[in-house]
Amino acid sequence: MKKVLIVDDASFMRLSLKTMLESNGFEVAGEAENGYEAIKLYTKLKPDVVTMDITMPELDGIQALKSILELDQKAKIVILSAMGQEARVKEAIISGAKTFIVKPFKEEHLIQTLNKIANM
Amino acid sequence: MAGQFSGEPMLDMYIFETTQNIEQLEMCILDSEKSNCYSQTSINEIFRIMHTIKGSSAMMLFNNISVLAHSIEDLFYYLREQKPENIDYTLLSDHILSGVDFIKVELQKIVDGEKADGNPSEIIEAIKAFLSQIKLKNPYNGSEAKEKQELAEQPRYYITPNKSDININTNAFKAVLFFEAGCEMENIRAFTVIHNIREFSDEVYFYPEDIIDNDESVNVIREQGFKVYFKTQKNYKELDAFFNQTVFLRELELVRLEDDTELKGFLTAKTVKAEENPVVVPRVNSYSAETAEKEMTTGAGQSIISVSITKLDKLMDLVGEMVISEAMVTQNPDLNGLQLDNFMKAAGQLHKVTSDIQDMVMSIRMVPLAMTFQKMHRVVRDMCKKLDKEISLELIGEETEVDKNIIEHISDPLMHLVRNSIDHGIGSAADREAAGKPPAGKITLEAKNSGSDVVILVKDDGKGLNKQKILEKAAQNGLLYKPANEMSDSEIYNLIFLPGFSTKEKVTEFSGRGVGMDVVVRNIESVGGSVSVDSEEGKGSVIALKIPLTLAIIDGMNIQVGSSRYTIPTKAIKESFRPNANDLIKDPDGNEMIMVRGRCYPILRLHQLYKVKTGITRFIDGILIMVEHENKTLCVFADELLGQQVVVKSLPKYIKAKRKVKGLTGCTLLGDGSISLILDIGGLVNI
Repeated sequence: MKKVLIVDDASFMRLSLKTMLESNGFEVAGEAENGYEAIKLYTKLKPDVVTMDITMPELDGIQALKSILELDQKAKIVILSAMGQEARVKEAIISGAKTFIVKPFKEEHLIQTLNKIANM
Repeated sequence: MAGQFSGEPMLDMYIFETTQNIEQLEMCILDSEKSNCYSQTSINEIFRIMHTIKGSSAMMLFNNISVLAHSIEDLFYYLREQKPENIDYTLLSDHILSGVDFIKVELQKIVDGEKADGNPSEIIEAIKAFLSQIKLKNPYNGSEAKEKQELAEQPRYYITPNKSDININTNAFKAVLFFEAGCEMENIRAFTVIHNIREFSDEVYFYPEDIIDNDESVNVIREQGFKVYFKTQKNYKELDAFFNQTVFLRELELVRLEDDTELKGFLTAKTVKAEENPVVVPRVNSYSAETAEKEMTTGAGQSIISVSITKLDKLMDLVGEMVISEAMVTQNPDLNGLQLDNFMKAAGQLHKVTSDIQDMVMSIRMVPLAMTFQKMHRVVRDMCKKLDKEISLELIGEETEVDKNIIEHISDPLMHLVRNSIDHGIGSAADREAAGKPPAGKITLEAKNSGSDVVILVKDDGKGLNKQKILEKAAQNGLLYKPANEMSDSEIYNLIFLPGFSTKEKVTEFSGRGVGMDVVVRNIESVGGSVSVDSEEGKGSVIALKIPLTLAIIDGMNIQVGSSRYTIPTKAIKESFRPNANDLIKDPDGNEMIMVRGRCYPILRLHQLYKVKTGITRFIDGILIMVEHENKTLCVFADELLGQQVVVKSLPKYIKAKRKVKGLTGCTLLGDGSISLILDIGGLVNI
């Protein structure tokens, strides 16, 4: 079972993701609500995939993404973005994010994306 | 329909979080308005909150909320990025607050299981108009120009500078990619592909070329696909695998170009341009680091989880049961007369742990009043604007904690009291100056602990209550229960709490709708509290709400009368003693009194009140327990004291609803399994 780390400051979003992932055969290894926690949990849990929100307090998703990739070049990080954040998504891709999903997303899109990334 | 969603954890979470965000947002706006400027930190905060609400609402398909949040987010995005000047902050606050109100209303509909069908377009239009106005006032402020320039500099071609190194073994390929419908941001997906191709290809050309800075490119990609020409040493198979890793790829056409004709044809039009655009690896926007740093200073470390209140209630019930079970074991009659040193030691340990757990559970349920108090800022602000009064609100002791269940019951009454104070209490600036007061009125909300109660005071420095007017009004409505000249000041003031009393003739938008102070009283009494008022004409009034800290578990002293057991809340007990026959007095009406340290107190015989048979009817054989409630003291006569115990105060409906039995608030199980009735001291002293 593929392990996923969910990073999002909105607990609603975390719950949505967790529910969708768990009902589709993923294991949610951990949940972080800001960039710092994400980095800490990543090193601890070594998840197969990370879903990363961009806009977060403390340390935002792109900073966290960079730090995680410094620790582990092979980290597979999927950015969760909202419409209108094109510039930041681009920045994330340049920084090494595998791909991104646009909120609001459909369950099938999420699962399809994560399956693809996790099995890369 | 109601409760349709209530079982859904996702919706619960959505409602909970959005409500919290909205509250935080409101506070942020009001703070900013007070200091008459929006700091960069608050702008970031508001932006972030709106962003979150937008995302969550869209996921839950509450599109009206999402669209509105989006428009506010846009506004704050502009404020954050462009830092415009000359903004009417009051107007800004008005716009956001109207948005906040809209979201609140919709949320309430969702909570009630109704359809969130409000139409936010008017608010959105207003916000958009406001934004374009700001934009007009701040034309091309430097940073925007800079941004444009940056955009122009953005790379379109990835060609490594050392072009000469191109290996002869390279092959040219053409790929056309179609993405799945609904995957969104196709241009950025295309960018992702280019970004990845660059890892193994030195020459990449693509169409549409302006994938980043032209939103129209999305449509081109959707209709015609995204075309990429590139040269690489990789073979067809590797490339096919590579492209198939692309997320949301619907269709791929990959062809090896036998000769350069097509590529050259594609290039001729572009080459010149490509030369002009030197390769620039996109610079990482400096914005993120900056914001992150700023947000770090604002966001207080959240090491808090949210738990549903029903779970807490259940936990509380269980802890109550545990406390009783513990007593059942350690005070078990089977143990009588046994020498149990080790058992008693272990039992002592168990008792310590259970009482620690109990304290802990209680403290979990305690919530500071701050949130409730903060809400009043908004009430004051709105009313002052509408009524054209100037009033400052002072909060004292907002860190005072009370039980979560109680907080819910005092929020509305408190708002009602504050509105009353503003509407009726504090006069216009002119009136105030005439009375020799500063033109700005002041309302103080103060909370403090007093024993096992919390007292909340709502003070204003307004006109105060007019006794004459109150009496007239009460007489009109037939509320006078005794001749006016026999009434004390406090009795007159307390008339305002009677149902059907309202002195304000004109019904205003905010108060005086006929639902008067009696609603406040009913609300507060429903959680076991009380309301009192004090006032001085011309100086102001104080309304005091006295509410218990918690409803669920109280300390009690168990007493026995005949074969019945009763429990007196420990907080009410002043002392207990065996009376001296000489101290007993009978007044001319036959009421029994006892003299203690030179003061007389009435005695209440419980066995008479509840018609219980007991052999002990002489005071010197039993025991007197002196209890106090709101400065009224009474001595309760019982057979004997049984000892102290934590009790679980559940309120059976038949006792609470009918109130037929006076002086009882509930019942509890004792250690030996028998039932004890809990005495309501407030009720007893007033019998």
